Amino acid sequence: MPIKRGLGHIAEPHILFPAIAVLVLAVIWGATYNLIAAEGAAAEHSAAVSSRELAETYEAQVVRAVREIDQALKFVKYAYEIRGRDVVLSELKARSLLPPDLVFVVSIADSGGDIVASTRPPELSYVATEDYFRIQRDGGTNLAISRPPHVPDSGIWRLQFSRRLTAPDGKFSGIVMVSVDAAYFVSGYETAKLGEHGLLGILGTDGVFRALRSGEKLSAGDTANYANVVTPANETDGEATLSTNEWDGVARYTSARQLYDLPLAVVVGLSADEQLAATRQDMRTYLWRASGASLLLLLIVGMLGRMSKQLAASRRQAVEEQIAHAARVEYLAYHDGLTTLPNRSLFSKLLGQSTAEARRAGRQMAVLFLDLDRFKHINDTLGHEAGDELLQEVAARLKHCLRESDLVARLGGDEFVALLPELNEERYAATVAQKILAAIARPFLLLGQEFRITASIGISIYPQDGLDEQTLTKNADIAMYKAKEEGKNNFQFYSESLNSNSLERLTLESGLRHALEGEEFRLHYQAKWDIATGRITGMEALLRWQHPDLGTVAPMQFIKVAEETGLIVPIGKWVLRTACLQNMAWQEQGLPQLRMAVNLTARQFFDEHLLEDLGAILAAARMAPHLLELEISETLLMRDVEKTLRILAALKDLGIRIAIDDFGIGYSSLSTLQQFPVDTIKIDQSFIRDISTDVAEQDLAGAIIAMGRTLSLTVVAQGVETKEQADYLRQKACDEIQGFYFKRPLPADQISRLLLAQRPDIDTAATRIVAA
Amino acid sequence: MRANLLLLKLASLAAAGAILSVAAGWAAADVVAVISAKNPVTALSRNQVVEIFLGKSSRFPDGSQAVPIDQAEGSAARDEFYTNFAGKSPAQVKAYWSKIIFTGRGQPPRQVPNGVEMLKVIADSPGTIGYIEQSLVDSSVKVLGP
Repeated sequence: MPIKRGLGHIAEPHILFPAIAVLVLAVIWGATYNLIAAEGAAAEHSAAVSSRELAETYEAQVVRAVREIDQALKFVKYAYEIRGRDVVLSELKARSLLPPDLVFVVSIADSGGDIVASTRPPELSYVATEDYFRIQRDGGTNLAISRPPHVPDSGIWRLQFSRRLTAPDGKFSGIVMVSVDAAYFVSGYETAKLGEHGLLGILGTDGVFRALRSGEKLSAGDTANYANVVTPANETDGEATLSTNEWDGVARYTSARQLYDLPLAVVVGLSADEQLAATRQDMRTYLWRASGASLLLLLIVGMLGRMSKQLAASRRQAVEEQIAHAARVEYLAYHDGLTTLPNRSLFSKLLGQSTAEARRAGRQMAVLFLDLDRFKHINDTLGHEAGDELLQEVAARLKHCLRESDLVARLGGDEFVALLPELNEERYAATVAQKILAAIARPFLLLGQEFRITASIGISIYPQDGLDEQTLTKNADIAMYKAKEEGKNNFQFYSESLNSNSLERLTLESGLRHALEGEEFRLHYQAKWDIATGRITGMEALLRWQHPDLGTVAPMQFIKVAEETGLIVPIGKWVLRTACLQNMAWQEQGLPQLRMAVNLTARQFFDEHLLEDLGAILAAARMAPHLLELEISETLLMRDVEKTLRILAALKDLGIRIAIDDFGIGYSSLSTLQQFPVDTIKIDQSFIRDISTDVAEQDLAGAIIAMGRTLSLTVVAQGVETKEQADYLRQKACDEIQGFYFKRPLPADQISRLLLAQRPDIDTAATRIVAA
Repeated sequence: MRANLLLLKLASLAAAGAILSVAAGWAAADVVAVISAKNPVTALSRNQVVEIFLGKSSRFPDGSQAVPIDQAEGSAARDEFYTNFAGKSPAQVKAYWSKIIFTGRGQPPRQVPNGVEMLKVIADSPGTIGYIEQSLVDSSVKVLGP
């Protein structure tokens, strides 16, 4: 495993590139080293061999040259000893039997050392003191070669080759000598082969150079240790050895060969510096190239490394961004953007997990379903931003109320849910709920104003109220509705009975959705009577729902659901349209003009399309606006005074009449009522119900009627059921009455008959009242 | 010898190369290359003459043997001849022949003591070639070259 890991690492650019670079560098320098070593060795070998070959050639040349000289000496000696001394040289010269006198001077000295004959004027006329003369005089039998005597001022060195001349009696009679310029023996020096610092020389066995040439420099008389120069190895080996020449300190591939039968050796040297110069130049070139290549390589690797590093960095960054993005997406998918609380999906997931854990651990667990009361109101009046701010604050307060292990989530809108996964006793859930209610009840500061809001909480407990996440949430929701019904700002535990209510509600809700299309709605009309004349002045349209399974459903039951679900808006429009069309239908039948009253719920009233809908409906029915009276509840007026006033003013602009329904049970004071452009007040039936028996109620109803009259409002009494009630109201000068005492709500066709019956201008009921 | 002195004088008087070459041209006329009047060869370039004298060639253009004859070492005519024809000083000529002899590639030309001797030798032997002062030229020899 570590090995595999290690191999994997090698493939990574920051290891791979330097590794390749090192490898290539090693190859470059290895090759360069080998090349240099090989070329150096080849050059050295070539110089050594060349030195040896030159020495062999030179040896042959010197041997021949010396032999030629010796030959001439022997020839002169022979001629002299036979012919006598004086004539010999000139005769021989005339016959061209002597070596060319351009180079060689042949001389004869007598036994006393005086030069007696010479091919050219001799340098010395007396040689008795010279070594070579003495050697021959003292019994020399061989060729003698002088040490190089320096001839002053001539700038040249001359060598003397001599042989003894013997008289017929065997006595010494002088010498014959050939004098030759030392340069002659090194004239074969060729710069092309030997260079400027090569060496050509003749070394006597006595260690004295007879001639020595290096480049253009000639000399003679230099000394050297013969044994050091002419070694046996030098004699036999094929190659010259590299040595520093002792006479001039130059390192040369020096070859030396002892000449056969002569006291001389030839020395040939090739200057190491010169011979290897070209190779050394090449070596330098190779080194430069290798250095250049290395530099280039390092540069490329450096650039590649840099690029791959950048690439890796950008790739890493891209991956990090992707991860961050994925994390963000996941976070967004599981969290509420506004409050940063977990959202519905995360909550159900976590609740599912907690349920499983609770099952394993046999623990209890509570789900708290929380809905803010009147949140919509805040949103509508203060705007969405304030609403959002409120939700954030609520979220913060909720978190504060819970333990670390608890969970709070926002399901959407103003719905929150909390999970208490470690519940030892149910009472704790109640404590938490109470704590939450208290926390929410504290005032909120929105747009610089203090606001108070309350919440309703429903609680379900695992395991008794549900074993799975869905059931627990649903039941907590049901319990929450119970809390709402109980007057809000409280909490309720779920119980089995709640569920059945809720089921009914669900049935209603789904039924309502189809009721319009299924034409299950009907309108009934209840007449309003002028209490003074007894004539019908108007109608109130009342909605009836004929459910195919449930039968007739009371408005009390379904209006609330319709209001909560928003279905009230389309239903309300249907009611308005139907009522208006019916009213006009009656008119077209020639029946007297009637005011048509239609109830509006809060949702309808605050619906933003209300005015245009009304305009369209009136236009379609071609009904005069003042014949339409909208009945709104007293509580609705007080919800948002400002907005209500605006809507009421707009309605009045259209010419529509406004009636306050169920007047007297709300909180509206006289002064507040004054500021609304209201046409009619309808006294709540609770005031009417008891006026026949209760004196206090009588006073109250009377006061309302009096007040209405003071404000020039039409006062209508609802729910009039008895003659006593009617009498009392007439006495108090109420304007109109409405109730079962006259007629209960009836379908349109029956109302038509009622109206037709009234047409002869004699209404029995009215007459009866007036008569009474 | 006279020519040499004159040359030196001229050279020291005027360093200008043009004058020097005019002087040399004039001096060149003093020593001439000659062959026997019996020799069928009529013309020989300066180069051909020099090659024969330096032992690089041993034949006339017609293929016959050419034998160069030198005057004595140190003679004015000889020095002048080598200076003018081969562009070599006496020392250079000597070094040249030293090397040729030493390496065994040839022998220097035969020598005669003076111009008069040379005239005799040339006149007698058709294969020879030599040089003499202009003043010595007679009908027994032919002057070569320019």
